[in-house]
Amino acid sequence: MEKQGRRRFLITCIGGLAAAGTAAIAYPLLTYLSPKKAVSTRRAVEIPETDISEGKAKFFEYEGKTAVIIKAKGTVHAFSAVCTHLGCIVQWEKEKGQFLCPCHAGRFSADGEVISGPPPRPLEKLPVAMRDGKIIVG
Amino acid sequence: MGILKKVYNWIDVRIGAGELVEKELTGYLLPRNINVWYSMGSILLCVLTLQIITGCLLLIYYVPDAEKAYQSVNTIMNQVPFGWLIRYCHAVGSNMMVMVLLCHMLSVLFMGSYKRPREMNWLSGFTLFNLVLLICLTGYLLPWSQLSFWATTVATNSMGSIPYVGDYMVEFLRGGKLVGPTTLGRFFALHAAVLPIVIAAVVGLHLFILQRVGISTPPFGRDETRITWKGESYAYESHAGGIPFFPNYLLQDLTSISIYFAIFMAVVFFDPYIFYPETSFMPADRLQTPAHIKPEWYFLANYQALKIFPSEFLGIMVQAAAMTFLALLPFIDRSPERHPLKRPLFLALAIGGILLWIALGIWGHYS
Ligand code: HEM
Ligand code: FES
Repeated sequence: MEKQGRRRFLITCIGGLAAAGTAAIAYPLLTYLSPKKAVSTRRAVEIPETDISEGKAKFFEYEGKTAVIIKAKGTVHAFSAVCTHLGCIVQWEKEKGQFLCPCHAGRFSADGEVISGPPPRPLEKLPVAMRDGKIIVG
Repeated sequence: MGILKKVYNWIDVRIGAGELVEKELTGYLLPRNINVWYSMGSILLCVLTLQIITGCLLLIYYVPDAEKAYQSVNTIMNQVPFGWLIRYCHAVGSNMMVMVLLCHMLSVLFMGSYKRPREMNWLSGFTLFNLVLLICLTGYLLPWSQLSFWATTVATNSMGSIPYVGDYMVEFLRGGKLVGPTTLGRFFALHAAVLPIVIAAVVGLHLFILQRVGISTPPFGRDETRITWKGESYAYESHAGGIPFFPNYLLQDLTSISIYFAIFMAVVFFDPYIFYPETSFMPADRLQTPAHIKPEWYFLANYQALKIFPSEFLGIMVQAAAMTFLALLPFIDRSPERHPLKRPLFLALAIGGILLWIALGIWGHYS
């Protein structure tokens, strides 16, 4: 009986040590492997107004993801170019004035609404403003 | 516990795990007078495993490009969480592996375990020793620091003194006239792909031979210390009435491994800089050789030997002869006696050789 208790005690101690050791290895290892946190200082992107003309689109990087601005009927719209279906990057079809996602043929209108295809939601709109001949996204 | 037992049974009835355990662990008997030096091999297996793991981890962030290598190592040290730990483990581990390797070799030497029928254990082990030195040498270049660059320049240059083919060999090793991006490509491939595979294979061979021949009986604490095997037929050296590997000797192995790791961790956490001179913290500059370029401690004796001979070629040849002598030792020293004190000539030569090696190293360090 006495002996059993001692054995159980020792096994618990060894188990505890093993758990502590595993944690001591796992923590550095996981932080070493985990991706760097995106530096999420919301930084606005400035684009000269002359870069884009009526009916055209321009793609750029915004907060680590691809974004797009288009100029339609004189106004500038900014969207995230990431398709809301499975994350491909949409293309701008100038002739039709629509976005087409090449992956599963999802279509979006010039204001980001879904026209056809599998995408469940409209394209995410980004805040856009004009100042001193510059388009400011963000 | 119930489920574990079931899983074990499930495996056992299929591949005979129990029989294997009986044969290789609990029924694997070792000589009663086995000593701590027989655990060096197990330490080496652990160190090798750790080198492979930390090496794979470094590969995640290291960039093998002369323009970017130094910066990527810098990032590992300063930006990646615990990158310094991984890098120090790899660098300190390589140095300490050479130390354990030397202990393993010396114990085998003094106990006469290299003698027949273990010539192949020795040969495969000696090959491993050289391969490990080579993987250390190639790894040294990868951080692309001043130290890496110039140490590699000097090390590859020494080949140039070989008549006729020397110059071509230097160029071949470097992939160009000078150490440069092409050298990095070669050394990286060797260090991260070729040598690890070759070393793993030779370790496998080393262990296979060990398993076939059987572990030797230490020559200490017994009256009969001569080899009785006559070389007529194959005979596994079994140790009837010996102690089982599991659990008895495994405990010794684990003790030795723990002591090793305690020392290793002490170096990693308290003074990894003993293996890093200042020049290893400067990016390589091909236009400026820093003062006092020295190889790592285990090459210091070779470095000094090269310097004291009037011609470099002679220096290289003498060292090559010494290495060949060591490699062929089991075929040169053929007496059946294994106890070191009963082999005065061997003992004198071995101790003289070790002292010479240490003296040359110290001389090289301070010259
Ligand atoms: C990566 C390097 C190496 C590893 C992983 C390794 C591993 C081992 C292991 C596990 C053993 C059995 C237990 C022991 O005596 O430690 C062993 C035995 C042996 N090793 Fe090594 N070894 C290495 C390098 C060497 C070197 C450099 C030499 C000598 C040149 C060598 C010569 C021997 C001999 C002769 C034995 C047989 C000892 C006996 O049966 O008593 N090994 N090695
Ligand atoms: S990902 Fe865009 S339609 Fe499927």
